[in-house]
Amino acid sequence: MQVNSDLEPTVRIRELKKDRVNFVLENVDLAFANSLRRVMMADLPTVAIDTVEVVSNTTVLPDEFIAHRLGMIPLVSTNCDEAIRNNRDCTCESACEYCAIPLSLNVACSDNRTLDITSSHLQYDPSVFHNESGEEGDETAKRVENFGHPVGKNDPSVPPVLICKIRKGQELKVKCLAKRGLAKEHAKWSPCSAVAFEYDPHNKLRHTTYWYETDSRAEWPLSDNAREEEPPRDDEPFDFNAKPQRFYFEVETDGSLGPQEVVMKGLQELQRKLAILIHNLKAEQEPELNGALSGGGDPGMDQSGPQIWGGGWGNSAATNASPAAAGWEGSPAVTGGAAGWGTNPSPAGSGGWGTGASPNAGGWGTNGSPAARGWGSPAQQASGWNV
Amino acid sequence: MNAPNRSELFVLEDGEKAVEILEDTKIPNAATIKVVKQDHTLANMLRAQLLATPSVLFAGYKVPHPLQPYFILKIQTDGTITPADVLSQACNRLIGTLSTLEAKFKREFSFKDVEGAVVSEDPYGVPSTGGPTWAGGRDYLDF
Ligand SMILES: [Zn+2]
Repeated sequence: MQVNSDLEPTVRIRELKKDRVNFVLENVDLAFANSLRRVMMADLPTVAIDTVEVVSNTTVLPDEFIAHRLGMIPLVSTNCDEAIRNNRDCTCESACEYCAIPLSLNVACSDNRTLDITSSHLQYDPSVFHNESGEEGDETAKRVENFGHPVGKNDPSVPPVLICKIRKGQELKVKCLAKRGLAKEHAKWSPCSAVAFEYDPHNKLRHTTYWYETDSRAEWPLSDNAREEEPPRDDEPFDFNAKPQRFYFEVETDGSLGPQEVVMKGLQELQRKLAILIHNLKAEQEPELNGALSGGGDPGMDQSGPQIWGGGWGNSAATNASPAAAGWEGSPAVTGGAAGWGTNPSPAGSGGWGTGASPNAGGWGTNGSPAARGWGSPAQQASGWNV
Repeated sequence: MNAPNRSELFVLEDGEKAVEILEDTKIPNAATIKVVKQDHTLANMLRAQLLATPSVLFAGYKVPHPLQPYFILKIQTDGTITPADVLSQACNRLIGTLSTLEAKFKREFSFKDVEGAVVSEDPYGVPSTGGPTWAGGRDYLDF
């Protein structure tokens, strides 16, 4: 498994557009590349409409239908982790300027024609708030001018999102609160509309099996990424030790965040997750240290200080709160032997997993152990364990 | 009606332990580490990094139930380092890889900024009318 540890990861951006970036990532392993993909899709905060108060709705669509459509509208979420706090963490009663964006919609049709209600009709409207405020903060100062507004509003080159069509005599009047959230809670908070991910376009590793009538090569078209790699020769023997090393990404955003921000924040979020785990491991081993940091959630929401793990590990100054976190380059801080793992009794005589004698025993697999080497197949999932 | 709050998937509850280390009683140098409110994103990356570490004999993870937001990671080492320490070492290595990658991405993005034309191109193929684009060399957070 020590394939990539000696090589530095590299990246090459093939195309960068306003709403998408296409890049090739090399010298990392599959798990790493996949975690980057997952984090960009599901772990970055954005804002989206979350509560809708219907004042009047005489359209043909029911209230919940409209509420759902409003939720799906992409809103500008630049620098979201600093520009707005989580509604659940705010000290206000229900919603305030620090934890929500007030938007309202008030459209009526008086002419004898069909009128399209679109995201462009959404107006920033502080009267939606009930005159309350949470603990003061600097969130509002960190916002771009159009933060929380529908993406592409006032930009003639971006067509607005259609919410409903109305006819003469019909009206729609709603008050909305847009809140910060994560795609883990609802997909409307995902900054990505799609993330394409591919490796091994020639299927040399045989991670997939093609169904075919007579000849799989003739029947399955190659992807464009196949041009980046040598096609396999007909007489080429299967390489049992080969590992995927080159990953093709295309990150497409819905406009709430730019593609550059999505990728950079994704990398930072992964580092934050790891840093928190280091901290919590340390706290678990030495309970007299400070309490646990919330493992999940999104950046900048914990009472324990938004900026503790703030971006730029390594290159920025030492802002790390935890001693364990400092200096990742060196060896890990050796803990004071609080829990004596090394002195663990009872050597595994009884066919435990260290010996790797029985690959199927106990479901613990043996992939990591030397004894397992003879087993050619990768055995991705041994008895429910991803090893 | 009685569905659990979806934020429970990623927000630690009051007094909930983020990490639990359970030493294995039958196998030397082995431990099961439970990490709460995290998923495959973190677990699989750690598993791969642990297997690339020579002192690790075994590393595997599972999410026992998709509705319970935690994973467990089983680690056995050769005795030169404890499972918990090898895990935080793996975390540190990954942070190192991520921050070099971050620097490389930053560089690549800045090249694309300088090349200019690419960014200002409208996603729908219409010549840009001067919407919000990133000027050359500007960081994406400067506004
Ligand atoms: Zn508030």
